Order: sequence, then structure tokens, then C-alpha cells
Amino acid sequence: MRKLFEALPGPLAARVIIAIVLVIVLLILLGFLFDFAGTLLDDGGTIGP
Amino acid sequence: MKAIKAIGWTMIGTGTLILLFLAYQLVFTNFITARAQDAAAEQLDERFDALRQALPEPERVEVLPPTAEATEDTTPDPEGEVALFSEPAPESGEEFGRLIVPALDLEHIMFEGVDRVTLKNGPGHMPWTPLPGQPGNAVLSGHRTTYGAPFFNFDQLAAGDEIIVETLLGSHTYAVRESVIVKPTDVWVTEPKVGAWLTLTTCNPRFSARERLVVFAELVDGPNFAYAQAAKDGLIDLVRA
Repeated sequence: MRKLFEALPGPLAARVIIAIVLVIVLLILLGFLFDFAGTLLDDGGTIGP
Repeated sequence: MKAIKAIGWTMIGTGTLILLFLAYQLVFTNFITARAQDAAAEQLDERFDALRQALPEPERVEVLPPTAEATEDTTPDPEGEVALFSEPAPESGEEFGRLIVPALDLEHIMFEGVDRVTLKNGPGHMPWTPLPGQPGNAVLSGHRTTYGAPFFNFDQLAAGDEIIVETLLGSHTYAVRESVIVKPTDVWVTEPKVGAWLTLTTCNPRFSARERLVVFAELVDGPNFAYAQAAKDGLIDLVRA
């Protein structure tokens, strides 16, 4: 984790900001992925073609 | 050695992702729905207060002469008519009533629509079917295992169990008649019916969207009970009505 952080470009402040943005983007992507995968468990129970 | 380490970390990562996924689906989504239900409960009371005074007058529907098959439950008034109460259709995504199942200790606010976003808030009504409490086949869908899992124990419903729906018109009581398991594409369960029916659909089995558990319940009390019974007994000219 530390190696990944140190591999980010720029000074420390910029790296912290980039890391925060990356974590947020990752969480959003994870949310979409979980939401999509969740339809396999339970898609709401509707009836339709 | 490096390869084994990489495989180990990959497995730990995959396991963590699966655990996070299950926590998100089975715990976190419940909070999302609980918040939506709390907010909707207040808005529903406001909706009822605002619209109940402006409800349309019931339509008087002529009842045909009774046949030998007519049941005693059909009680047209002396002028040979029954009242048909109606209410304004809710907006898409709007809360419009309460679903209460005493046998399962369940009470949920219902919303208009069965799209994915609406069903995250609670049970949803298929907009192209009549509203609960109205004649015909009103269809509600709901989650079985995620987003509050309103229909989690629907497999425990037995014939005769009460399902109460509160709408602008008041309280409508249904009795469970039958449960079936069908494919998600079996649209026949949503087709119109004579009388007044409530059809509830959810995923089956639990933790899978492979099939649908469908519960059929028939109106046994409520503002439109006399109309529904007369329609069922063939005492209403449904083409004209």
C-alpha cells in the first residue's frame, strides 16, 4: 500500500489528494459493481419479459 | 515462492471483496431502505391529509338482476347499484399506501413503480395494473433478501392469511388464496382478473433471482368489496362499466 502511494506523482500534498480521489472513484465503481452483482441475489421480484 | 504469495494475496483480496459484497447487499442496503421508509411515512401522512378531502365522488354502477349463482356477499343498495370508489393515480416513484401483513408482522410503505430505483425504497406497484383496493388485478413487487427484504417470509403465508392495504380510500383487506412459483417471464400472473385481487411477486428462492414466488390474495373487505363481489358474480356489465 505504501509502495503504491509512493509511486504516485508529485509532492506529498498532491499524492494525498490523488490517493483520496482514487479511493473515492474505486468506492463508486465498487458500489456500481456490487449493485449490479446484487441483482443476481435479488432483482426486486418483478415479472416481465 | 513469489507465485504462491501472489496467489495467496489474490485469494485474500477476492475473499475480502466477497465479504464486502455480502455486507453491502445484506446489511447496508437495509439502511438505505429504512431511511427511505422513514421519510416516506411522513410524506404519506401528508399526502393522505391533503388529498382525502378532494377525493372524487364514488361512481354508481348499475347491478344486473341477480342470478342463482350470486353470493350473499353482494349487497347492492335498494336502487340496484353499487358504488365504485376511485382515487387519483400516484406519480411515478411516489409513496401511496401501506402494506400490512399481520401474520408476518410486516408493515411497509408502498411506492408507485417497479423500476430498480423505486424498489430500493420499498414494495412497488406495477403502474399498468389497477391500484390496490380497485377492481381487477393489482400487482405489487418487492425484494426478498436485500433492500429491507419486505417479502422475506412470504413463503410462510398460508391460505386465509390477511393482507391489509391502506390507501387514500381507506383500508382494504385481502385474504391469501394461493401461492405459486413461476419464472420471471410468466406475465400471466399480472393479467386482469374479475373481482378485486392483489398479486404480490418476489424473488425465489431466497438469495436468488432465478424464480418468482407469487402470492394471490382476494379482496374480502373494503370500500370496493361490494363492487368486486358483484363483478365476480356476473352482476355488472363489465363492458359498459
